Amino acid sequence: MTHSLELELKQMIIDTLELEDVTPDDIDPDAPLFVEGLGLDSIDALELGLALQKHYGIKLDAESDDTRQHFASLNHLAALVEARRVK
Amino acid sequence: MIPLTLRDWRAWQPTGTVSRDPRLSTEPRPKGTSVPALLRRRLNIVGRAVCDMLAELDPDGQSIILHASRHGDTERTLEMLYALNEGNDLSPARFGMSVHNAMLGVHSIASNNQRSLQAIAAGGNEVAALFSEARGYFAEGEPEIIAVFSEASVPSRFSDHLDHPVDMAAVVMRLATSDGIPITSRPLDEVGSLRPPQPTDVISWLLSGGNLPSPSQRLMWHLSP
Repeated sequence: MTHSLELELKQMIIDTLELEDVTPDDIDPDAPLFVEGLGLDSIDALELGLALQKHYGIKLDAESDDTRQHFASLNHLAALVEARRVK
Repeated sequence: MIPLTLRDWRAWQPTGTVSRDPRLSTEPRPKGTSVPALLRRRLNIVGRAVCDMLAELDPDGQSIILHASRHGDTERTLEMLYALNEGNDLSPARFGMSVHNAMLGVHSIASNNQRSLQAIAAGGNEVAALFSEARGYFAEGEPEIIAVFSEASVPSRFSDHLDHPVDMAAVVMRLATSDGIPITSRPLDEVGSLRPPQPTDVISWLLSGGNLPSPSQRLMWHLSP
């Protein structure tokens, strides 16, 4: 993952999810995004799905097991964006 | 009729003049510190004010709570309608928080309140509805009820359709049937051009006592100062 993509994704998460008092430096690329780690919830997952579609043209299947993997950490999310982005 | 008493209250009125009464806050941007940050981010400023006031009057999360608002969160609701009209996807978080009971839902999660929480919209009769619902719970043996009345700002593109301007404010009252200031009702002979009571009217009433007219019921509630 490039540094610029990492920073871009961190800022997208902070802006989309309206995280208060969280800076890009607070997001560990290897830490879980949901429940533990950043502590996001299921509504955040839906919001992130919309943001990925809007920013990168990536459509995810909410029922797919792969989606859970893509959202496991920032690194996983970056790998998804690098592999499937269309814009 | 079941008696009604006021045991305590808190209010928030950002456009109000600073009061010496510590129960009234005029803080322009309530912090919502009673709610953890991950929950708080979804509250608008009215929700933050209400949750902080509820934390003071329902610190253990044990009270039945009623919340009335005539308009609710019109800003989020209208934004979603415009987004739909333009063929855009809806934000799940904004949709979730646009519903009428969202504010109490956040408070219930933050305080682990598992009692009955009720949201009311009564077309201008919110105060009457709150008192009526409270009496219903008292009739079933509940000793105390917390009643919330709040209004957010109405977006300008909708405000032309209102009969009366809406002032952003919120008030939280702890009601009971005894051991407090009695709230009684009296007939209202002249309705004239009186508007339905808003949270700002209730706050003035709580601060100074006297009468709070409810024109559609043709009555006024009386509170000893």
